[in-house]
Amino acid sequence: MERSDIYILCIEDEQEVLDAVVRDLEKLEEQFPVETSTSAEEAREVIEKLLDDGKKIGLILCDHILPGDNGVELLIELHKNERTHESRKVLLTGQAGLDDTVRALNEARLHHYISKPWNREELLDVSVNLLTDFVIENEENLLPYMATLDTEKIFEHIRTRHNISDE
Amino acid sequence: MKSGLKGLTPTQTTGLFLGIFGLVLPFLLPLGALSFAGQIGLGIFIMAAVFWMFEPIPIYATSMLVILLQIVLLSAQGPMYMDAELPSGKPVELQENTWQIPTGALRDDQTVLLVVEPGKTEAVPVEIVERNGQHVIIRSEQLSADHEIVTNINHRLVNYQPNSYTDYIGTLANPIIILFLGGFMLAEASVKYNLDKNLTRYLLSPFGSSPRFIILGLMLVTAALSAFMSNTATAAMMVTVILPIIAQLEPGDRFKFGLALSIPIAANIGGITTPIGTPPNAIVIAALTEYGKSISFTDWIIYAFPLVMIMLIFAWWLLLAFFPPSVDQFKLDMKGKLNLSPKAIGLYVIFGATVLLWITENQHGIPSSMVAFLPVAALVTGQILSKNDIRNLPWDVLWLMAGGISLGIGMDKTGLAVWMISGFDWGAMGYITLILVFGIVAVAMSNFLSNTVTATLLMPLVISLHTSGVMGDSFNLLITGIVIAMSCSLAMALPISTPPNAIAMSTGIIKTKDMAKIGVIIGIVGVMLILVYAMFYWPIVTN
Repeated sequence: MERSDIYILCIEDEQEVLDAVVRDLEKLEEQFPVETSTSAEEAREVIEKLLDDGKKIGLILCDHILPGDNGVELLIELHKNERTHESRKVLLTGQAGLDDTVRALNEARLHHYISKPWNREELLDVSVNLLTDFVIENEENLLPYMATLDTEKIFEHIRTRHNISDE
Repeated sequence: MKSGLKGLTPTQTTGLFLGIFGLVLPFLLPLGALSFAGQIGLGIFIMAAVFWMFEPIPIYATSMLVILLQIVLLSAQGPMYMDAELPSGKPVELQENTWQIPTGALRDDQTVLLVVEPGKTEAVPVEIVERNGQHVIIRSEQLSADHEIVTNINHRLVNYQPNSYTDYIGTLANPIIILFLGGFMLAEASVKYNLDKNLTRYLLSPFGSSPRFIILGLMLVTAALSAFMSNTATAAMMVTVILPIIAQLEPGDRFKFGLALSIPIAANIGGITTPIGTPPNAIVIAALTEYGKSISFTDWIIYAFPLVMIMLIFAWWLLLAFFPPSVDQFKLDMKGKLNLSPKAIGLYVIFGATVLLWITENQHGIPSSMVAFLPVAALVTGQILSKNDIRNLPWDVLWLMAGGISLGIGMDKTGLAVWMISGFDWGAMGYITLILVFGIVAVAMSNFLSNTVTATLLMPLVISLHTSGVMGDSFNLLITGIVIAMSCSLAMALPISTPPNAIAMSTGIIKTKDMAKIGVIIGIVGVMLILVYAMFYWPIVTN
């Protein structure tokens, strides 16, 4: 499997939890490199650096309770930022109150909410789904993602949108 | 990966520079008989061929670039020929059969060029009497006082009459392109209203649950759809039909290779069936039409259908031989419901009427390109297709074909095509050998290149073999053209050979090795079969 330049970013302040998330995403990591950070501040730096290197952020999995700015604030900021607007955003938390969650939904156009403790299958399914949408909307050549992501959805896109034409 | 220009692989970067160098190369070499315009044409040809091979820019972009270069460098209205006038004058008669002409009028082989008509000259041998600075005194019995002779034999208008730029840009409205446009719009609407999926469901049901017959059914349906729709869109849809079947198999079961290969093979072969099945057909039909060999929709099906059927049956047998089924039956469970909204019904009626008019062209005589405007206009009039749907059409493919047709026009017009075949004794080869060679070359090339590009690069040669008459009477333009079109579609040994191959490969089910094995056999058998048809079948049905 060839490594793509689409990254998955996990933001979580507890190292053990962070390791668990990364472990659950192992199947995707071969194609979508996983980056981690433990605070909003660090996440901004990581994002900045990746984007400056010409990489893309396909998926952001973010905890709510973080040192400094909280997860919802960070996601809203990333949603407003043109460079991370397209990235799929997931709030992965047990502690966000209703108000914060509603804010994230309305102002960060949250793509998914996963409550802790999460189910491994669910996390993987959600990630595959969101990454599929991301590559369909942002990538020219979809064929490299066929085997890892949602094959049927990508085929349907090729069928209806002429993503690949006869030559 | 990243070296050279930003975003280009080393191969692409090489291609970019080679292509640009190719554009000027003809002016650096002594090319003898090739006219100035022919040199420009050759430069454009080399650049296009290199760009199409290395793809530093997308292949449709190369096509558009070809048209741009042609209208700027070759057309009558372009800066190169806008104000150009062929320098000519009458020879001055000194005494009987002795003439004074400007030095620039004398060619190295001691001939002068007589202007016969615009763009055409005739060489007349002369005998030099005396060189006299700016003038030469010559003897010739063939000159007369009212002859116009070219006074500057190196001029860019010698042996070239530029045509209007509208000939080049007009290729986008070539009847065959309009025919494809009609086909594209029907396909677009079919996908929008799921007609392709529903047809597949109905057509597959008689094939039951035996794996052997399911594979046959899959192949026949795929071929039938790809005869009218894009091979790629058909393959993308059909692969989603086989994925659930493959999920029913044991992980190590090799039958899945056969299943996954059956789709691209049938899609590639199916495109041969009709003129609109696949773009190489368009290139060939456009070139043949230009030389008075028009092919009706009906004719094409008569030529192609028997070959397609035999190839499909052969491929079916081959796949079963290599990857025998391991289970007795499958469940083929396709859900769906026929769309019966007024617009969908409108589509069914338009689709049926158009296809019926196309395949009966020989009976009523209305050209298929005219019929093609029925779906074009009716689908938008009935708002079956919206503005967005029209924007979504594969315009890149239309441009790719237009550029290919335009390149052919330029090569013929500048005398380049005839010059290219001139160095080789084609007559000695014999017609049957020629057919075989063209078939093999076409299959070999299009395994690596786009099928359309292969047809584009080969057709001008076929045309000049016809116009120059070097092959004698045995040469049949129509059949040679058909050979090219069909051979281009029989190349499927590699994932890069065709987009349906790439699609099947991307699922991760098949290995390149298996695809190559089956693809090479199909290519070889295909060329042999084409040869047999060219000798025994097409001569009967084309007369």
